[in-house]
Amino acid sequence: MRKPLVLRHPSILVFLGVLAVFTVAVTILSTGYGTGPISTSMVKTLGKTLCLALAAVAMDLVWGYAGILSLGQMAFFALGGYMIGMWLMVARTEGIVTGTLANLPIPPTDTEISAAVATQIFGVVGSDQFPLIWAFSGSLWGQLLMVVLVPGLLALVFGWLAFRSRVNGVYLSILTQAMTLALALYLFQNDSGLRGNNGLSGLQNIPGLDAVGQEKLSIWFLWASAVALGLGYLLIAWVASGKFGSVTRAIRDDEARVRFLGYSVEGYKLVVFVLAAVVTAIAGALYYPQAGIINPAELAPIASIYLAVWVAIGGRGRLYGAAIGAVFVSMLSSWFTGGRAPDVNLGFYTIKWVDWWQVLLGLSFVLVTLFAPKGISGLVDWFEGLRPPRRRGAALGPDMGSLREKEAVE
Amino acid sequence: MTALLEVRGISVSFDGFRAINNLSFEIGECELRAIIGPNGAGKTTFMDIVTGKTRPNEGQVLWGEGSKSLLRMNESQIAQAGIGRKFQRPTVFEDQTVAENLTMALSAPRGPFSVLRWRPSADSAARVAELAAEVGLAEHLSRKSGELSHGQKQWLEIGMLLAQDPRLLLVDEPAAGMTLAEREQTTTLLRRLSEKHAVVVVEHDMDFVRRLDCKVTVLHEGSVLAEGSLDHVTANPEVIEVYLGRG
Repeated sequence: MRKPLVLRHPSILVFLGVLAVFTVAVTILSTGYGTGPISTSMVKTLGKTLCLALAAVAMDLVWGYAGILSLGQMAFFALGGYMIGMWLMVARTEGIVTGTLANLPIPPTDTEISAAVATQIFGVVGSDQFPLIWAFSGSLWGQLLMVVLVPGLLALVFGWLAFRSRVNGVYLSILTQAMTLALALYLFQNDSGLRGNNGLSGLQNIPGLDAVGQEKLSIWFLWASAVALGLGYLLIAWVASGKFGSVTRAIRDDEARVRFLGYSVEGYKLVVFVLAAVVTAIAGALYYPQAGIINPAELAPIASIYLAVWVAIGGRGRLYGAAIGAVFVSMLSSWFTGGRAPDVNLGFYTIKWVDWWQVLLGLSFVLVTLFAPKGISGLVDWFEGLRPPRRRGAALGPDMGSLREKEAVE
Repeated sequence: MTALLEVRGISVSFDGFRAINNLSFEIGECELRAIIGPNGAGKTTFMDIVTGKTRPNEGQVLWGEGSKSLLRMNESQIAQAGIGRKFQRPTVFEDQTVAENLTMALSAPRGPFSVLRWRPSADSAARVAELAAEVGLAEHLSRKSGELSHGQKQWLEIGMLLAQDPRLLLVDEPAAGMTLAEREQTTTLLRRLSEKHAVVVVEHDMDFVRRLDCKVTVLHEGSVLAEGSLDHVTANPEVIEVYLGRG
């Protein structure tokens, strides 16, 4: 009867196709599995970019579809990273400590190994014991479960309190900023249990896979990130289509009206917010082993604002737009800030992109918001001959997050 | 006759201004009722209270056979209990098609997880087509509702109300901004609706109310001034003074 999801929305098929071609191409050109023009560090950058794209797609569900401008999404991203990082650190340190202690005349007991691991990990914050929150850190499955549960629960509690009180618009955005800032400040403390400002490090070394080598491991993570992005994209596209998507977009444009239709707006926002938090956390759990290190600075409010900027530049309210925005802007950003962009000599002043990139980004954000609200995805509409409706500037709904005239399609 | 909706002695004030003052009101099953009154008489506030948007400072709002209090329910629960509302300005979801608007309004489980699992069926498609035909939008099913004319949006909203299949419809100034022909169609539709639903119409336009040919409640300064047939209330000297005299 009904056509499958990917045929109703051909953009999904195109997206997955491009993702597959990209992944295969990088693999063929990599040092680990191919001819070698792409360095291992570049493969890692590309893998990380895919994770950021997944976070952006989740952000688009929250902002572009449900109209909740959450500026705290990277808190979930970082929490996902912390959760997997705990297992990575413990398992790896355990391997090293067991190796060292094996030379002792009397074989060490489990308690001694555990104590040595704790000293090794927490010595830097002046402790020699595992904090309570590390209870499951010895188990990979335990920590993988935490990747989903901890950010999911945080989003559930935060969302329930905020949505139930009907906090909307700018106030909600400020609240989400406060959430990520508060969490960052808490984690900066040495007794937070997550090594304060040292964060977790050495995450690129996967326990038991030392023999594989980073050039191959980086490709494995690229594949994992690509699969996660593909599946996450499909899941969110499914949620955002059909009647659920319809209700969600209706909430974005006019939530009071949705209530009078008998839908509990709070329930829908909560489902969307928690789902996005979980997807973002999974993206984070794949990102940080490629980055190698995580510390509380990753939860800085600016990180979540960047995520919103990427989605805006890519085009809000369509999932491929969010992914394109994240890939385009973050790649451009690493090009400009990596010192690879040539300086511009104006004679009286030399523009160094490392300093001026943020100004350029800010300026392009303002320009996109003012003159091309569809962002990069506007090019797709232009190519397909789709135009915004003529509404004399009226938005498509009374709510703050509602679609604006120039964002809509006739 | 037992009342479908019974409002007992409600009062509400905003910043000291008493918008509703000890108002009592009753409507039975399948009854058509018009509420008239000058601006600021509390007509819209009355609807806000019944639909859960505004909480009264005192009084009771009772609903249905079990006389359940609506004051303990929120907007979406009240809507699910069977009270539908049509706003003064047409409020439809402008970025979505006529079919999507109607599908959302169709009576079906409203929880997020049931909606995630919901699939369109032959039945639901037929019902949407039938509703669209009823309000004259059969050819516009796949158009975005934002492109419709003002009158068509009003009709779509009435179609959405029908899709909800409520027991009580609250209709706020349905004729506002309509052409004469559209008004006549609207009168016919409202009269037909009242065969199966209770309908409360808030209206300014006296000719429109006359055509509805139903019991009329006159509100003034937040309470009921008179009630009865249109001829009866328009003969009331108080009503003439506060309302008709000015018009």
